[in-house]
Amino acid sequence: MSDFILTSEPPLAGFDRRFGDTVLKAPKDLAIVSIALPLGDETKAEKAIKTAFDIALPAMGTSDVTSDKSTTLMRLANDQAFVLFACPTPDAERQIAAKLKGAAYTTDQTDAWCALELSGPLARPALERICMVDLHPDSFAINAIARTVMEHMGAIVARTDADTYLLLSASSSAKSFAHAVELSLENVS
Amino acid sequence: MSQVNRIKGGLIDRSQTFSFQFNGTQMQGYAGDTLASALLANGQTLVGRSFKYHRPRGIFTAGSEEPNALVQLRSGAHQEPNTRATVAELFDGLTATSQNHRGSLKHDLMAITDLMSPFLSAGFYYKTFMWPKAFWEKLYEPAIRMSAGLGRLSMQEDPDSYDKGYLHCDLLVIGAGPAGIMAALTAGRSGARVILADEDFTPGGRLNGETLEIGDMSGQAWAAQAMAELASMDNVRLMSRTTVYGAYDHGTYGALERCTDHLASANGKPRQILWRIYSKRAVLTAGATERPIAFGNNDRPGIMLAGAVRTYVNRYGVTPGTRVAVFTNNDDGYRTAADLAAKGVTVAAVIDTRNQAPAQDIPGMRHIRGAGVVDTKGRHQLKSITLTDGQMIDCDALAVSGGWNPNVHLTCHQRGRPTWRDDLNAFVPGDTLPTGMAVAGAANGALTLASAMAEGRDAALAQLADLGLKASPIDLPRAEDEARDGAAVWHIPQSKKRAWLDLQNDVTVKDIKQSHQEGFRSVEHMKRYTTLGMATDQGKTANIPALAIMAECTGRTIPETGTTIFRPPYTPVPIGALGGRARGQEFRPTRLTPSHEWASANGATFVEVGNWMRAQWFARPGEKGWRDSVDREVLATRGSVGICDVTTLGKIDVQGRDAAAFLNKIYANGFAKLAVGRVRYGIMLREDGICYDDGTTARMGENHFVMTTTTANAVLVFRRMEFARQCLFPDMDVHLISTTDAWAQFAVAGPNARKLLEKIVDADSQDMSNEGFPFMACGEVTVCGGTPARLFRISFSGELAYEIAVPARYGNSMMGALMEAGREFGATPYGTEALGVMRIEKGHAAGNELDGRITAHNLGMGRMVSKAKDCIGNTLSQRPEMNRDDAVKLVGFRPVDRAIPLIAGAHLINKGDAVNMANDQGWLSSVAYSPSLGHSIALGFIKSGDTRMGEIVRAVSPVHDKEMEVEIVSAHFIDPEGSRLRV
Repeated sequence: MSDFILTSEPPLAGFDRRFGDTVLKAPKDLAIVSIALPLGDETKAEKAIKTAFDIALPAMGTSDVTSDKSTTLMRLANDQAFVLFACPTPDAERQIAAKLKGAAYTTDQTDAWCALELSGPLARPALERICMVDLHPDSFAINAIARTVMEHMGAIVARTDADTYLLLSASSSAKSFAHAVELSLENVS
Repeated sequence: MSQVNRIKGGLIDRSQTFSFQFNGTQMQGYAGDTLASALLANGQTLVGRSFKYHRPRGIFTAGSEEPNALVQLRSGAHQEPNTRATVAELFDGLTATSQNHRGSLKHDLMAITDLMSPFLSAGFYYKTFMWPKAFWEKLYEPAIRMSAGLGRLSMQEDPDSYDKGYLHCDLLVIGAGPAGIMAALTAGRSGARVILADEDFTPGGRLNGETLEIGDMSGQAWAAQAMAELASMDNVRLMSRTTVYGAYDHGTYGALERCTDHLASANGKPRQILWRIYSKRAVLTAGATERPIAFGNNDRPGIMLAGAVRTYVNRYGVTPGTRVAVFTNNDDGYRTAADLAAKGVTVAAVIDTRNQAPAQDIPGMRHIRGAGVVDTKGRHQLKSITLTDGQMIDCDALAVSGGWNPNVHLTCHQRGRPTWRDDLNAFVPGDTLPTGMAVAGAANGALTLASAMAEGRDAALAQLADLGLKASPIDLPRAEDEARDGAAVWHIPQSKKRAWLDLQNDVTVKDIKQSHQEGFRSVEHMKRYTTLGMATDQGKTANIPALAIMAECTGRTIPETGTTIFRPPYTPVPIGALGGRARGQEFRPTRLTPSHEWASANGATFVEVGNWMRAQWFARPGEKGWRDSVDREVLATRGSVGICDVTTLGKIDVQGRDAAAFLNKIYANGFAKLAVGRVRYGIMLREDGICYDDGTTARMGENHFVMTTTTANAVLVFRRMEFARQCLFPDMDVHLISTTDAWAQFAVAGPNARKLLEKIVDADSQDMSNEGFPFMACGEVTVCGGTPARLFRISFSGELAYEIAVPARYGNSMMGALMEAGREFGATPYGTEALGVMRIEKGHAAGNELDGRITAHNLGMGRMVSKAKDCIGNTLSQRPEMNRDDAVKLVGFRPVDRAIPLIAGAHLINKGDAVNMANDQGWLSSVAYSPSLGHSIALGFIKSGDTRMGEIVRAVSPVHDKEMEVEIVSAHFIDPEGSRLRV
């Protein structure tokens, strides 16, 4: 038994603000693991992903959710995807690596990112102020994702529902990122 | 003051009365007024003083082209100078003051400048203020700035907020006049995504100021009906009070939306939004600007453009005077007379420069043909005009029409040059337009209503077809093509008095002629010599008449003489809007280390390192300055153990079957044979052989490496590696991802580092003995009862040291745990200053040394550049010039007189040599006071430094006017054998 106990303190833990019917909150215990497909063994890796999650690796620039809604796959690049799922313990990468059985390279990204879920009628107007991606429903369908920059911070924007977006940005600048989204909501509300 | 000039009609809402102040005088206007229309309604024709001569000036236009009526709006910190009264929307409680006068507006003491005008012609600045040189900045410039100028800033912080945003559309329509509305209707009904932007608060363009009819309704009613239809379409975004000010690359446009300028208070919301509009196609329907005719004393209050007079009469229900004369060279002037007469305003005369029958029969009109105005009278308000035949006509307002210039400005923003049309006596957009732009309506030279509407529709259809979108031509409503013939009359040469061209910068016909006489043949030279067109209005009403005068001087045509093109912004954009929300603490994103909270609570002083906030030192009570803190931290670390958050170092996860081979390409030294569980120091070269970054890379598994970079180059290294992966070595199975933010990493350094970590690292996860975990070892461990961690035995300080990393969410807690575990050893947190001192004592190169010029050879690491393998930069690093024996080499320096502090940046000169560049031997790159040695030390570069140990040279700093003698020594001031690292 160690004399010391470490406490988990994600930078946006407990963040939850409401602007009328629009909610901005940090998802609890969101784990992120990156998957890299080995060159030449992509088919094998994709089969392993299908076996592990029961959904196929989505097309680039899109995401997909498992039938039990527990896990999301985001296809960020030809050879890269993120797995997102709830995991309170710091072993997310090991869990995914075990599922994939060595068919893909995995890296824990949980602590590299902060996440905010923006949901409600003001979501798109607020993002208009900081996000240069065209989020019009005709251009950015549900399950679309994009890497972009918001207020000089690298970010991933994912449309998870009609008026719901998951935003990811670097955890070290989490407070600046949250401020940017919050200020946008204040400005459009 | 009552609204003496308010007449019937207009689009104003007379049920909403607004009170406002001008120069402290209480006045009233109505909702829908601009400040200009409300001032005119109240009989306030004198609204400002001119820039140079302090001439009394009134309102000249009814739009954004206004050169005269610039006022300071609001008060206190909200005060905004140089606001055009013609576009400032009236609101209840508005306060405005006139600008650029000393004493009252009516009795401006600086008006004496006008009497001195014979001495103040074009270019007088350049000729007059030549000597003495000492007066340039101390006397001349302050005096000129005091006597000439615009409004004043409040000198307080801007209390308003601003925002930015991004919009996307299939078709951007710029200008909501008749052509723009037709374009938007066409595209909107087709289902395309449309943005219709207009600078006015009431869309409709000139339809709001005219009595033209469309179909069976007034033009204004048609515009309102069309806008209502557009507003009902989900695919159309209407943006009034929005100026599209610039056309940029690839269909991108800048637009300024004035959100709350028309309200008494912004109520905490952004005052203005700067939009970046990404359009697939655009239709420019920006209309046209009327131009004046230059004649003697044509700048008096009460003299106004004829189209503006119609706008005030028809849209605002205001007459600029009780007895108005019209002076025109084209048919348009007659419509002004007709509209005035229809509202019961006396038309003193219509003076037409053309010797022909009137273009329009107006009952009771006095028509004077083949004549011009040569002079005017009335200091603060026009009283009379004098014609070329000598007759004088009493009037208190004069409407002038010199024809219309298409608003081609945005077509020029990517160097497009307008072309001349003789039939219009005007420039129209040229062939080279910004990508994706089409021009329609008056902006394209279709100056009549029916033609403009047809062009708007057809331009939209063509643009949609170009996008592959289906659209049907909508019906063109019935509209007239009004008479628009005109003559090319730019000024009245019989005028003996000064005739103004650029009202805002006080440039006259005489100035242009003088400029030509003095040899300024190019339009651009003329502009700069006279300042014509260089005021905030960019010469919207001045440029073409001035060009015509220039053409007369040269005896050439206007197109032969040339033209000038425009650049953004179309109208002024406040600096606040350009800054947007990036101000104060939110000027840029801030990155915090995982232990930031702990550091804040424990006396850290922070320093900005890029976007990071890093603890610089941790002050303790009783310490008199930063040096006390830093010296203590260094000595405590070297004496026992110190802890530093080094999370900011870049971390890159490198995985793949070819990861080792890939790193062999990236690093100058070899990594392919690095054993699993070991760490190696490496240097990276640019393609040209210059060393640009260094760091350590740990082999965590056969196909898994964890690289560290310097904090400053974390992104650069990742980007270059990604380029190498994708473009140079696409056949390698290697994958990169940044984990900089994922891991909180702490340096634990000092003789007691191991003892401290033995209390943190779970005993069953790692043998911490020197044999079990030797110098340059690495491994996955667990800490504090099972939390996964990574441990590296590496040292930047030169002491027995480790770096331990835990998932970032545990970082703050980990810092506390490390300090608590180290309490018995007197563990000390240290910041970047102590970190820097220790690395200089140890002789490690850092950013100061890797300055973009330094090679591995200079660093004394030439042998690290492997000849046995290929790597980026390898070939060019072998160039003979980069491997000279007398090249500068990294060495250490200490002062001969140990009490003297060294100066970073000082240059090294051999004893006895003159201090000049020819004798430059090198420089001191990093300097620190070494508490371990008790004197100042330095790292630096000197020619053949490695062979000059013990030599005394001079360190000279001309900037500080100091020099001192220094001894060349080893760069390794502390533990040169490295024995401390391996215990």
